[in-house]
Amino acid sequence: MKYLMLIYGNQEKWASIPADEWPEAIAKQGAFNRKYQATGELIGAYGLADDLRAKLVRRENGQPAVTDGPYLETKEYIASFYLLDCESEERALQIAADMPWADVDPVELWPILHEDNPDL
Amino acid sequence: MSSSRGEVEDLLRELAPQVLAALVRRYGQFHLCEDASQEALLAAALQWPSGGLPENPRGWLITVASRRLMDQVRSEQSRRTREEMIAVATPQSELLGAPADAEPDRDDSLALLFGCCHPDLTSPSQIALTLRAVGGLSTAQIAAAFGVPETTMAQRISRAKQTISGTGFDFSLPAGAQRTERLRAVLHVLYLVFNEGYTATDGDVLTVPALSREAIRLTRWLRRLLPEDGEVAGLLALMLLTDARRPARTRPDGSLVPLAEQDRDQWDQAQIAEGIALITAALPRGEVGPYQLQAAIAAVHDEAKNMADTDWPQILGLYDLLEVAAPNPFTALNRAVALAMVNGPEAGLAAVAALQADKRMAQHHRLLATRAHLRELAGDTDAAAADYLAAARRATSLPERRYLAVQASRCQAARPG
Repeated sequence: MKYLMLIYGNQEKWASIPADEWPEAIAKQGAFNRKYQATGELIGAYGLADDLRAKLVRRENGQPAVTDGPYLETKEYIASFYLLDCESEERALQIAADMPWADVDPVELWPILHEDNPDL
Repeated sequence: MSSSRGEVEDLLRELAPQVLAALVRRYGQFHLCEDASQEALLAAALQWPSGGLPENPRGWLITVASRRLMDQVRSEQSRRTREEMIAVATPQSELLGAPADAEPDRDDSLALLFGCCHPDLTSPSQIALTLRAVGGLSTAQIAAAFGVPETTMAQRISRAKQTISGTGFDFSLPAGAQRTERLRAVLHVLYLVFNEGYTATDGDVLTVPALSREAIRLTRWLRRLLPEDGEVAGLLALMLLTDARRPARTRPDGSLVPLAEQDRDQWDQAQIAEGIALITAALPRGEVGPYQLQAAIAAVHDEAKNMADTDWPQILGLYDLLEVAAPNPFTALNRAVALAMVNGPEAGLAAVAALQADKRMAQHHRLLATRAHLRELAGDTDAAAADYLAAARRATSLPERRYLAVQASRCQAARPG
């Protein structure tokens, strides 16, 4: 069963982390990624750009119309996402609870119902 | 003389476990033998279709695989140590005696299957390893069948092989109660492979093997090795009787067709006949296990011309036996439907209500969908619509969710006044 794991954040929060703590934080996340890639359960881990670089795309009169955004009502936005494929929901919950910052911020876990062209 | 690619592929898949078993028996080192055996299969898949089959295909594969194994061992940095390990692991008599392919393979292939379904492995690992080592599929094919990248599947297989190598590959088949237990694990793995294929859409047959067909092939093979086992026959019958309905199970747009609405003329009668013959022969022979009972239930459905013609009292009786043989809340749900067909929807609803005591079960989409169906039969369309909607929100596949949502709106539209 496949799951999407999401963590949220914002610039303010990341700026509050002292620079000398970043290497350790990154190393922890790297270790997590390697651990679950080695078990064949983590398909991929993806970090997203800042919200300033996100765009909104619409089609107006058949033409693409691109604007800055999204203007989020929530204070935090998606920081990174992880694609899991594991035996059961119990196992997915166990992996989510093993995320380095799960004791600071919650990790969202979404079951994936369908995927097209699984030839990733 | 050249053979068609399909013929070669079938032959290779048949020989795969025999070649690997012969290698592991001779050299130990499951991990290395498995790689070497895959390389030999690949070489054959490239050469045989145009160049023709060798006189002794199995011997050819074992010879090529042994050579690959030696190359691999020599190319390793710790080559001396490893060569010594192999030399030590090989009895003197075998170094001088008959080649590996002269030994009978029958029991080794079975031991190989038992090893791949080792209880130390998680079920995704058991499945992946079985498909590769016993089924002879490549890592890329298995990855494609499960919709994961090849590297992810390679990790899973490699880890599983390490686990098996770590415990030392054991060719002695378990006996007595342990054998029953281990065989149950093997059958469960085959059942999971079948289910994965039955619920997923069929891929391109050439590149992505249909998992349900592969499960049927492997179970047929297992039945040849254990012709006396009732549960092996029962599982094969269950697969055939379930797979026979595949053509009627979905519409061209991928939406699900429930059993009651399936066009039964589309069912595969040859598969049904084979399944019924298997289960009819197996049932009177001894202790009746859960796979035989499920196959018997599937047979009763497959024999009926329509829902009304179905022998529901017999199905209910079989579910009663199944509840004793393998108690499980989902069996109890199915039994509630049979009970409703025999004694009316209220009786079915009472049986469902008994299951709701389990909190997790109370919110399960299968329970909600069953209750919706029974409430609709009882004429309570309002409550049925609410249950269908709640079930749709908890469904675990998209076609299922769509089906349940359509039922919900149908019930809403049918509301009185």
